Amino acid sequence: MITAERLTKRYGDTTAVDAIDFTVRPGSVTGFLGPNGAGKSTTMRMVMGLDHPSGGRVTVNGRAYRDLPAPLHEVGALLEAKAIHGGRTAYNHLLWLAKTNGIPRRRVNEVIGMVGLEAVAHKRSGGFSLGMGQRLGIAAALLGDPGVLLFDEPVNGLDPEGIRWIRTLIRSLAAEGRTVFVSSHLMSEMALTADHLLVIGRGQIIADTDMADFIARNSAAHVRVRSPQSGVLAEALRDRGWRLGRADDGALTVEGATPEQIGDVAGSRGLYLHELSVVSASLEDAFMRLTADSVEYHARTEQPIPAGV
Amino acid sequence: MSTSSTLTAPASPPAHRADVGRPRLTFGRILDAEWTKIRTVRSTVWTLTSLFVLSVGLTALICFAAAGELSQDAADEPIGAFATWGLMFGQIAALVLGILVASAEYSSGMIRTTLAAAPRRWSVLAAKATVLAGLLLVLGAITSTAAILAGNFFLDREGIGLSLSDPDVLRTMAGGGLYLAVLGLFGLGLGLLMRHTAGAVTVGIALIFVVGNLVGLIPGAAGEWLTKLMPGNAGTTMATVESFNPDLLGPWTGIGVFAGEAALLLLIAGWLFSKRDA
Repeated sequence: MITAERLTKRYGDTTAVDAIDFTVRPGSVTGFLGPNGAGKSTTMRMVMGLDHPSGGRVTVNGRAYRDLPAPLHEVGALLEAKAIHGGRTAYNHLLWLAKTNGIPRRRVNEVIGMVGLEAVAHKRSGGFSLGMGQRLGIAAALLGDPGVLLFDEPVNGLDPEGIRWIRTLIRSLAAEGRTVFVSSHLMSEMALTADHLLVIGRGQIIADTDMADFIARNSAAHVRVRSPQSGVLAEALRDRGWRLGRADDGALTVEGATPEQIGDVAGSRGLYLHELSVVSASLEDAFMRLTADSVEYHARTEQPIPAGV
Repeated sequence: MSTSSTLTAPASPPAHRADVGRPRLTFGRILDAEWTKIRTVRSTVWTLTSLFVLSVGLTALICFAAAGELSQDAADEPIGAFATWGLMFGQIAALVLGILVASAEYSSGMIRTTLAAAPRRWSVLAAKATVLAGLLLVLGAITSTAAILAGNFFLDREGIGLSLSDPDVLRTMAGGGLYLAVLGLFGLGLGLLMRHTAGAVTVGIALIFVVGNLVGLIPGAAGEWLTKLMPGNAGTTMATVESFNPDLLGPWTGIGVFAGEAALLLLIAGWLFSKRDA
């Protein structure tokens, strides 16, 4: 369980994290979603006692991180892919880490096996690919068999196999009853892994919601229908009380009706249909709408590029 | 890399968790971890090898080259100063090793892993200092003894060899270790303060090789005292049988001053280390 109360981080005049409150509960995956620069990593570093809050507090299992008697037995974290000295072998990296918290040597071999790094365990990690480095980071996080796990952008830069592996791992850790806190800037990733969603933008929590609720609320679909007799069709559909709109290409958009209902209406009037399709709003769109006001750096695509550049 | 995409039980049921046990974080464990860290990177091997090779090799070389001349004129050159001459260059390796113990953690980002495992920052610094000082104390004494033996071999051939039972010679054999340990700690302080290897090495070398000599140009007592007190001047007499510069502080006073300077630097660095974000 991770609890933040009025947690704040300021750097000079800029407020990176602005008095946020949240609770991350055991037994489920809590997604921490926000655009780049929203304050996700800063928040995670404060949870880990690495960055000092400017105000408020955050506790893990009821205690400040630095007061945990044996931190690795309670919290495991993958904060950044490269928090490893490239000159040391994977095995030795895990070995020194294990020693800090009195974790036995055989557990080092165990976690190496879990992440599938046996073949390269005695090679220096400087030569590791991003995916291997990520696996080593995860081995380090699992070392103390902790009940609380933090993953900061775990799938960044990974190949599809690595991404799938991490998703499965995250799901299974939560299924075992652990508290899992995962950050990402990709809504689609969160939709696949998280049960609960915390959305952060400009240092503030802008949504704290159940994932299923969020999807239900935001994936509202509409039906697109094209007909050569669209005037007559529109009349008929409006009679049924459905909300109509018109797409750019002249097709009708219908909210609140299924394609079957619309097809039946058209058929009963003998109207021709050239297209009848469901258009579902993407969660990515919902996320963009939610964070539209809180994105730190907008790409200014509307700006025409001057000629001759 | 052939990795299984299927997951083999990533963690074990609670029964096994109890098996792993919940030992507490202790200073002894942090110390053990820091010892494991320092002995598992090549930079340690390289710096300690160059410390030994430079110190012993250059001492042997200068004694081989100068012994004849030293034996002839009833020289105003102190012969004892040649017996650990190579340490003047070898010491850079001890400084660099000390810097790396802190700065390499910042350049790799590993400091966050370290502090996640051991959030008590003063304990982490104390463990680093203990491991570093212990290692340099032992290897420094071995190096300085080997340098004396190698240099003395050539001095002996010209009949100007030192007596190995001379108290100053014995003091230098151990004192080389003491001086290099303090120098390493000074480097640790610099590295932790600056968090940047190249920057800290530059500042360290400039302080010890350049500034230490430049302050001698300041006229009057101020210049004299600054010369005595500068890190890299204070303390060096501990690692030499006799000093080229008779105005420097004596071995024990000198090493005391240098240790005080290193301690002050470590305190400042440690205080910032405990306050700053990692």
